[in-house]
Amino acid sequence: MPPKPNPTLYSVSKTFMWFAITSFVLLLCLVAMVYLDYNREWKGWQKKFIALKVEKTQKDLAEASGKIDRSQLETLTKQHAEAVKAMEAHHKDAAAAEQTVENANSKAVKAKGIYQNLKQYQDSYRYFFEEYRRENDKRAAEYSVKLEKVIPELAKAKSELETLEAQKEEADKTLAAYSAKEKELQKSIDKLMEDKTRVERRLEAVKPTLAKDILNAPMVDFIHPTLQIQQIVLDNLQDDYHFAKVQKVDRCTTCHLGIDQKGFEDAPQPFRTHPKMELYLSATSPHPVEKFGCTACHAGNGHSVSFTNAAHTPNSEEQAKEWVKKYHWEELEKWDAKMLPMKHVEAACAKCHQNVLEVPKADKLNEGRRLAQTQGCINCHKISGMESHWKVGPDLEHVSSKLDHDWIVKWLQNPQDFRPSTKMPRIFHLSNTSTPQDIERGNAAIESIAAYLAKNSEPVELSKPSVKGDSAQGEKLVKDLGCLACHSVGDVKAGTFGPELSGLGSKVTQEWLYTWLKNPKHYSKNTRMPSLRLSDQEATDISAYLLSLKNEPFASKAAPKAKPEVIDELVLTSLQGTMRLADAKTELAKMSAEDRLQFLGKKSISHQGCYVCHSIKGFEDAKPIGAELTNEGHKDIHQFDFGFVDIEHSRAAFIHQKLKNPRIYDQGKEKDYYDKLRMPQFNLSEDQIDALTTFVLSLTEEKVPMEMQKRLDLKEKETEEGRLLVSKLNCNGCHALDGKTGLLRELNEDKGNAPPVLDGEGAKAQEKWLHSFLKSPAPIRPWLTYRMPTFDLTDDETTTLVHYFANLSHENISYQGTVLPETSPEKVAAGKELVEKLQCMKCHQVNADSAAMGTSFLAPDLILAKHRLKPEWVKKWLTDPQVLQEGTMMPTFFADGQTPIPDVLGGDTNTQIEAIRDYLYQYQSGSDSADSSKTNKK
Amino acid sequence: MIEAFKIFINSVSSPATIFTLAVIVFILFVSFPKQATSAIVMIPLLIFAAAFLAIGLTDKHFYHIITTPDNVPIVGLIFIFGYFTWYAMRKAVINDERMAQGKPTIEKEETDEKVLVFPYLIFIEFVIALAYSIMLVVWSIFLKAPLEEPANPTVSPNPSKAPWYFLGLQEMLVYFDPWIAGVLLPTFIIIGLCAIPYIDRDPATSGYYSFKGRKFAIIAYLFGFWILWILLIIMGTFLRGPNWNFFGPFEVWDVHKVVPLVNVNLSEIIFIKWFSVGLPKAWFVREAPGILLVLAYLIIPPAILAKTAFKEIYKKLGAARYAILVMLMLMMLSLPIKMYLRWAFNLKYLVAIPEFFFNI
Repeated sequence: MPPKPNPTLYSVSKTFMWFAITSFVLLLCLVAMVYLDYNREWKGWQKKFIALKVEKTQKDLAEASGKIDRSQLETLTKQHAEAVKAMEAHHKDAAAAEQTVENANSKAVKAKGIYQNLKQYQDSYRYFFEEYRRENDKRAAEYSVKLEKVIPELAKAKSELETLEAQKEEADKTLAAYSAKEKELQKSIDKLMEDKTRVERRLEAVKPTLAKDILNAPMVDFIHPTLQIQQIVLDNLQDDYHFAKVQKVDRCTTCHLGIDQKGFEDAPQPFRTHPKMELYLSATSPHPVEKFGCTACHAGNGHSVSFTNAAHTPNSEEQAKEWVKKYHWEELEKWDAKMLPMKHVEAACAKCHQNVLEVPKADKLNEGRRLAQTQGCINCHKISGMESHWKVGPDLEHVSSKLDHDWIVKWLQNPQDFRPSTKMPRIFHLSNTSTPQDIERGNAAIESIAAYLAKNSEPVELSKPSVKGDSAQGEKLVKDLGCLACHSVGDVKAGTFGPELSGLGSKVTQEWLYTWLKNPKHYSKNTRMPSLRLSDQEATDISAYLLSLKNEPFASKAAPKAKPEVIDELVLTSLQGTMRLADAKTELAKMSAEDRLQFLGKKSISHQGCYVCHSIKGFEDAKPIGAELTNEGHKDIHQFDFGFVDIEHSRAAFIHQKLKNPRIYDQGKEKDYYDKLRMPQFNLSEDQIDALTTFVLSLTEEKVPMEMQKRLDLKEKETEEGRLLVSKLNCNGCHALDGKTGLLRELNEDKGNAPPVLDGEGAKAQEKWLHSFLKSPAPIRPWLTYRMPTFDLTDDETTTLVHYFANLSHENISYQGTVLPETSPEKVAAGKELVEKLQCMKCHQVNADSAAMGTSFLAPDLILAKHRLKPEWVKKWLTDPQVLQEGTMMPTFFADGQTPIPDVLGGDTNTQIEAIRDYLYQYQSGSDSADSSKTNKK
Repeated sequence: MIEAFKIFINSVSSPATIFTLAVIVFILFVSFPKQATSAIVMIPLLIFAAAFLAIGLTDKHFYHIITTPDNVPIVGLIFIFGYFTWYAMRKAVINDERMAQGKPTIEKEETDEKVLVFPYLIFIEFVIALAYSIMLVVWSIFLKAPLEEPANPTVSPNPSKAPWYFLGLQEMLVYFDPWIAGVLLPTFIIIGLCAIPYIDRDPATSGYYSFKGRKFAIIAYLFGFWILWILLIIMGTFLRGPNWNFFGPFEVWDVHKVVPLVNVNLSEIIFIKWFSVGLPKAWFVREAPGILLVLAYLIIPPAILAKTAFKEIYKKLGAARYAILVMLMLMMLSLPIKMYLRWAFNLKYLVAIPEFFFNI
């Protein structure tokens, strides 16, 4: 029996009331859930994009309507109206014709049915006949009869059908004749309106409608919504989630809707068209979106469709603030694979474009890579796949023949004191070593390094100039010979490839400089400085000039002296690394003052890693000291020690700050002298730091499938090797080559006096000639004051360069010399005549007359042509020099295929050009040319 | 002023001070339940807690830790558990007073009748289930699960924290060898909780709140629950940072914080520090003091208590049940004992036998 109701324990009505309330609130919760699920960030963007697109299409529509020729349209419409009227006049006849068509049609349809039925029977009978006959079944005979009966019936049905079809076509024609005019006019009108109609149809497709709204409504939007997430699934690219590699799916286009459509270049983000459509996204570009997606380059979270979760990374703090306001952006603390900030986006190129000096169009990354080599970053930091190709600092194996002790000491104090533009970074007395004690320690280390270098330097025999030098002449030579391609001197800011030469008078002796200029390899076998084949007089003049440039403030400074007790302290500390204190003390006591200095010198050089950039005796096999950077662009952010530096905790910020002030992360830390950060202070501009940051961010071990990487074929590999050599030798210091300008060429107003352009050299020069020229250059253009240096290239290097030039011009390489095209004495004679008439020798010969015209008119002596030039090239060159070398002074004699001299060889341009070429390849002695020049004068 | 307060709080925060303070508060609470549950004490306490939270939230770091979606329930837990403890104790105190005056308990006065579970209770429970659903939906709407990086087997998150309900166990790992903190003690907790109805079969005080009637059971349980479980969870959630280092509530969690690790074993204290003789080679000699001490801890107190303070209980339960009860109690108390030994003497292990991985 149920107990009596008890209000203290329970009340049914109250419970019902609560049931009602909770049910209602739960319903509200449900509504909230549906709303939150429905109300997505990306839907808002898609709606905005539709509005934008409608607006744009409407504009297109107005434009298309504007383009229609009104008067023509009017005429056509009028004509059309008349045609309609004319057609209506014959409307009874037309109706009759229509009736005939209909009749013919129905008959034809019927006949077709009969024919098709019979055809079915025939096929079936044939099948059974063949089958039964094979099985020797007696029913075969029965089917044979049937088949024979149906064949003529079928033939009859077919002929009937054809007759009826012919009749129908006839009737159709009669009918069409009535409306032919009208139809034709309608077609013209349609054609006129074609563009407009197309835009109208497009507008119809994008315009929001009620039907679309219903399809997009909450709870029904799973059926077939028009607002939906767009995604690109990439077959060959994967996201690495540590445990599993997952196919890359990029949903960026859900909001970036105009990214691959032309016409949204000025649209607000996220709808803007990609700024480099020729490189990315479009089907004809090297990186079509279906194959590469978005995050392969930009990084970030491709799966996400919210601004914050996609891991957008701002370029700057201002942008971050703007994003917070506009998109409620917040930094994703935990997500590691953030997007690259736009200013470093080129870092991603390196994932696929590995082992190349330059990635096309990635200027910042290329600059970073270049700096990493020229500043010596990769001498010190190991990066797999990027070994250093040369030591960036000069050899120090013979340094005592060049520099004295005090100069080295003062230089190491702060290299920029002597030469503000130096690439040598400052190593001592930086922010983390600037306490009085540390400065003393630094001085001790410097003193000991100088002592070590002096002791471990082998003397080099220096020669004394035999003539007297003229400083003014030397200054002229420095400008004229081409020294400025690599060096800057005095006020002339030119090449930065080699050291600036100002202040040299406070650095080296005359003997050393003279010996060096005569043959740099004599002093340093590894130097990249080539020989300019200077005469004794030239070398003396130049050294006189350079030595007259002094750096007085530096010279007058005294070299700080090291305190012996500080040297002892440092030696003791070093010894303690491997010994007990007492043993270390005994060991120290055993050493003489000189021993201590040498010991500390060796220790300091290995501690600071001087040998990574300079060849130093005793450090031939020493390993570089920098941290390995192979995966720096993907290193876990927690592994970066930001110390007490209050900057954004991102890789880019860390690297940027590190390059700006390498010792900053020691700020506020208590460290022993030898535990302090050691990266020296480089002399980098803000742009250079930016480029290097991009470079470091590009270093990653992330694996991209082989088929997605840029792989070099044999020729590209050869070109790449050549490119490396070109950068090592600084060919671009003089020559314009491979898409880069030549520095000296740029500095020269008068291009006729500037070093030649080398684009197309592979097509122009014979390989054999080029090879021997590179090995030992001889003047081609004697009027040029610049001198092609002798680089002492090895055979391999020369071959590399020859291949490089040939590959750049897409030429096949042949060392066999050139096979001369067949010719005849008549042709050669005609060639000679043409050469005389066209006055080729006026420019193509070096003598007093031609020099008088001014150097920009001078051209290489034609006597060289036969060994130097390729016949094919000569032909092309004569046909149109401007195509091969824009702006050349060579006249286009055969403009538009017309010869200026119609009376030779029947006035045939092609034969004439061949004749000239053939003559040039026969052209021999100097007397010959003398003759022709005489002829010219006449 | 607030800054000074924060610095003060940070400077006095340490596992030892917080634990000791909690134990003192606990002792006061069970010694003076009437005063402790009165409005004069509870309202200022509540105001203090709320003010602490409010002031704390102005601190960037404190705010971050408190509002992390994972940690929000623990903040709620403090207040909810506090409320229920107060509610039960308050009723128990009132009932005890009423019984002392010879009046019936509140529960009895309300009604003495029984009610059918179905449909009356089930209906109420159903409505409550609906209310919980609402809470969970609202919670999931406002506190979203954060997007974290893909799990990486080569990188451990720092701090690596267990789910909140295991943080008490994780805290024990600071003081005990993993096999004790991770295996033995949890097993004892489960067995102990299962064993309660078999050890204590006394039906007294069932059906109403009372403190006096089950003083021993309530104190033992609340100590284990509040001090050895909830407090450790709170510390583990809010005060243990990277590398499981201890941080004050307003101290920024610095990954690079370094604290000296100078813990020593009992054998080292005895043989090296006291006797200055070097550690004996054989483990059983070396660890003999520790082993003896542990055995003494497990044998002597039960024996003495059976004759003295727990005489009544021993009589009531019999030898077997008494042994189980005392063993469970000793296991429970071993945690605070070990904690204080660590804080006082930097004691690492009482018994340390790396030869076969046995440490106590």
